[in-house]
Amino acid sequence: MDFNENNKSEAKKILLLSALAGEIMLKNGAETYRVEDTIERICKSRMNIKYADAFVTTTGIFVSLEYQGEMMTYLIRIKSIKIDLNKINLVNEFSREFVNSDMSISKGLEKLKKINKVNNYSSWIKTLFGSLACAFFSLLFGGTFLDFISSYLVSLIVLISVNRIDKYKMIFFVNNFIGAVLASTLSILATKLGIGENMDIIIIASIMSLVPGVAITNAIRDTISGDFISGLSRGMEAIFSALAIAFGVGIVLNVYFKGMI
Amino acid sequence: MVIIKQFIFSFLSTIGFAVLFSIPKGSIIKSGIAGASGWVTFYISSMYFESHVAGTFFAAIVVGILGELLARYYKKPATVYIIPGIVPLVPGAGMYYTMLALVEKDFYTAANKGTETFFIAAAISIGIIVSTSLSSSIKRVKHKG
Repeated sequence: MDFNENNKSEAKKILLLSALAGEIMLKNGAETYRVEDTIERICKSRMNIKYADAFVTTTGIFVSLEYQGEMMTYLIRIKSIKIDLNKINLVNEFSREFVNSDMSISKGLEKLKKINKVNNYSSWIKTLFGSLACAFFSLLFGGTFLDFISSYLVSLIVLISVNRIDKYKMIFFVNNFIGAVLASTLSILATKLGIGENMDIIIIASIMSLVPGVAITNAIRDTISGDFISGLSRGMEAIFSALAIAFGVGIVLNVYFKGMI
Repeated sequence: MVIIKQFIFSFLSTIGFAVLFSIPKGSIIKSGIAGASGWVTFYISSMYFESHVAGTFFAAIVVGILGELLARYYKKPATVYIIPGIVPLVPGAGMYYTMLALVEKDFYTAANKGTETFFIAAAISIGIIVSTSLSSSIKRVKHKG
């Protein structure tokens, strides 16, 4: 009897472990089918658990498994998503290792908690490289060296302020809107001050860091794998981010053409 | 010469986006190559077909297939390679020119540019669909054999 009780708590632990793994993946921008797959694999790898199923949407995880005729369910609500592809990769490697080896469950939990704290690049390096990406993008559009410099500076300021705003847990629409307003205002200022030459190119390059590339990619990958709910909700996210950027740029351009700046 | 320049700039740009999305350190150069090949495909094919939509479609296919191959070979999630390569293709310029035309009350150009932007986004989607379903069907055939 005692032995049996012990096993039951182990089954609960493995449920927790799989849910935690799923949470880390989903929070950092993984596709839903990958999360579902990982959770099921982790659950089914131990103690003859025959039935384990996961239902994942972009905002929540439901996992349930059957152990000796008893159902256990766990639910996690995901509120914020930020992109960290390295963590997805680490959890992916972890699940492969966990399934193929005899790792104890508590050791697995420890490892997962460590993965959750890994910071691949400091936020400074991320901002510096992100704005470098935008600056090189201006060259791809035929910008001059001066455009390169000014779009670097503009997108640096945009990325820093978007990161700051992120800490207040605003909705993504406000984030993108403010980013686009800043990007276009600063680009106009830069051309006025003579740091940049082509205003169009600087604005286009500096909104590239806000553009919803991840949402588009994930929306499509979810839809193809049959997760229509997640695909639709990510698609809506992409559409509304694009609208926010467009309106932000549009308002500033309107003011600019009325001659107010 | 222009193509080499475009390759280098898009390579560096993709690397920047890769770090912004914090991809694993060992994969930065590989995703940069995938992204740069996608951009060069975009550049060449949009000149050849005289349409950004067709160019984006082929570029998305190239990025998708390269991403899936790299993911298979290095055993990493495919999105690690695909996302930094797709971001430069997203029609930020189209969005800007549509808005510009709207602000100038030039609705003809706005409709033109807006439709093009929408179809570029659709072309990215269909490019990823084609490459992903291609790779998953190859996987299925290999499992059977």
